Amino acid sequence: MARIELNNIQKKWGAFWGVRDVNIDIKDEEFVVFLGPSGCGKTTTMRMIAGLEEPNEGEIKMDGEVMNDIDARDRDVAMVFQGYALYPNMSIYENIRFPLRMRGVPKDQHDGLVKKAAGLVELTDYLDRKPSALSGGQRQRAALARAIVREPQVFLMDEPLSNLDAKLRQAMRVQIKHIQRALKITTVYVTHDQIEAMTLADRIVIMQSGMIQQIGTPDEIYNDPTNTFVANFIGSPPMNLIEGTLSDGTFVADGVRVTGIESTTEGKVTLGVRPEDCTVSASTEAELNGTVYGLEPTGDVTYLTVKAGDKLIEVKADRTYRADLDVPVQVAFDPDRIYVFDSEDGKRIQ
Amino acid sequence: MASNRKKSRGESLFLRYLILGGWALFCLAPVLWFLSIGLRPRTEIITPQPIYIPTFSLDAWHMIWEDWPMGKYLRNSVAAIIGSVIIDLVLAIPAAYSLSRFEYKGRDDIGFYILSTRMMAPAIVAVPIFFLFRNMGLLDTIWALMLVYAAINLSFVTWIIRSYMLDIPKELEDAARTDGAGEIRILWEIIIPAILPGIITASVIAMIFAINEFLFTLLIASTPDAYTMSVALANFTGGSDGVIYNAIALVAFLAFVPVFLVVVAIQKHLSRGLTMGAVKG
Ligand SMILES: Nc1ncnc2c1ncn2[C@@H]1O[C@H](COP(=O)(O)OP(=O)(O)OP(=O)(O)O)[C@@H](O)[C@H]1O
Ligand SMILES: [Mg+2]
Repeated sequence: MARIELNNIQKKWGAFWGVRDVNIDIKDEEFVVFLGPSGCGKTTTMRMIAGLEEPNEGEIKMDGEVMNDIDARDRDVAMVFQGYALYPNMSIYENIRFPLRMRGVPKDQHDGLVKKAAGLVELTDYLDRKPSALSGGQRQRAALARAIVREPQVFLMDEPLSNLDAKLRQAMRVQIKHIQRALKITTVYVTHDQIEAMTLADRIVIMQSGMIQQIGTPDEIYNDPTNTFVANFIGSPPMNLIEGTLSDGTFVADGVRVTGIESTTEGKVTLGVRPEDCTVSASTEAELNGTVYGLEPTGDVTYLTVKAGDKLIEVKADRTYRADLDVPVQVAFDPDRIYVFDSEDGKRIQ
Repeated sequence: MASNRKKSRGESLFLRYLILGGWALFCLAPVLWFLSIGLRPRTEIITPQPIYIPTFSLDAWHMIWEDWPMGKYLRNSVAAIIGSVIIDLVLAIPAAYSLSRFEYKGRDDIGFYILSTRMMAPAIVAVPIFFLFRNMGLLDTIWALMLVYAAINLSFVTWIIRSYMLDIPKELEDAARTDGAGEIRILWEIIIPAILPGIITASVIAMIFAINEFLFTLLIASTPDAYTMSVALANFTGGSDGVIYNAIALVAFLAFVPVFLVVVAIQKHLSRGLTMGAVKG
């Protein structure tokens, strides 16, 4: 129900840049996921959208209206805090009900809304407990319930599922997506979990050291990373990055030789190839010639680590693939899915 | 091995009880002693010979209630103390909130100034305070006592509450703010309940100071109209009857009991812990 624009946002503490040159235009009803390593400024950005932190420079707009000087309580956002921030003296019921009371929702609706939100996060049996009597995961779900109990303009969720087990996380993910779609509420979501990012996001924002590295749909981020940081950050295991030299369309590194690269660049470059775009091959013409360094069968796929020179390269092999350590192995790269990056600044060349 | 360890565990437990028990006895002995003085006849207390079988007597008890308006002194004490603590809390809570939460120029200086009022000797301001109250026509009233006790205690009550407020995670207020609460709501519904142990601790300490306050009470209360327990004590030390030890002891005991009971009743709140479970961890 709201479009959020961040124009040239800067946040500094002394000489330290928390967030730098952030420009995003979040469309109405969009689900945007912030992804990035710890300390890259995700929470800070979110707090600025919520109005809990003031940017040193730049404009925050909601539906075209500049919000910089609007107090947090007047912004009509609901936030799940990374540290939960449950009110210790109130029961879970009262915690979830608090925003309804503060926002003037008619009293006769409270009970129904609280129970519905608690039901969605599977906390119905814990409503009369105090936060201190809940487990970490239960507290986190209580914090989530407090955010989804009403229909705000914007949802801000700071790692709302980080403390749940895999099964519950999957269930909550579905709930969040469903609520967001049903209520059509613009949502900003922070996570460290790639699966969460890929499955929930309309668009993903990748951040590093306070700066945005790339904004794009999950497919764009996966298929068209703009630099080595994004390439390496998305995908599990991450993309293989191999340093070598390119001349005349042929890339050469220890044990690696890739021909037919359409690029006019010459000299030192970094070649990127995802483990899932590699296949074990019988041909000696294959791009990678190395030895088996490690083998990890997981059931549905076997992770093969190949040693070439002093470089280790991850390969997603067939689930039936088996090999002894240190035997020679050839790996073919999918020629359509090879990336070339500048060795100096990591920018994508091709 | 195992039994060895068990034995030394038992020994250390015994040692612990011994030390704690000894300490408790050391602290409580004077209390028991003046209770025993207060409940014996006056003649028995002042004999130099040791007495092995004490005589029980309610002489002092009857004396303080019948010959002296002890009930009134007690009421004065209670009213002045409770009033002063209320004044302190009403002033200290918003002050502490401001000192711990908002950022403004000179905030830390103001905080230090508040604390520094505690650093000077009370006698320095005794004379000005006397004239102040005289001009306001408040001499010899419990209102004056209330104000003086409140003034004496205000600084450290503010500081104790402030330190508890600093322990509250800032995220808690941020959450309340995004949920739509204003400053007053946040203070009333989030902060105060979370720092209740601190408020109680500060109040109890303020009460203990107030109940023992003597100098200003003597200055302000010139007639029994505004006498409190602590000043009433002084009444038994002079005059034609000499020092009435058993009455002094009994009044002292009576002044001790209410504070003791209050502390026992709220003991569990004196420890921190209410903020547990507010944030991750
Ligand atoms: N109040 C503050 N004063 C100074 N530096 C701060 C402050 N708040 C955050 N920072 C710094 O800003 C940077 C970004 O912090 P932020 O909390 O946004 O990280 P994050 O991306 O949310 O990390 P995480 O994934 O660990 O939660 C960090 O390096 C942090 O130390
Ligand atoms: Mg964070």
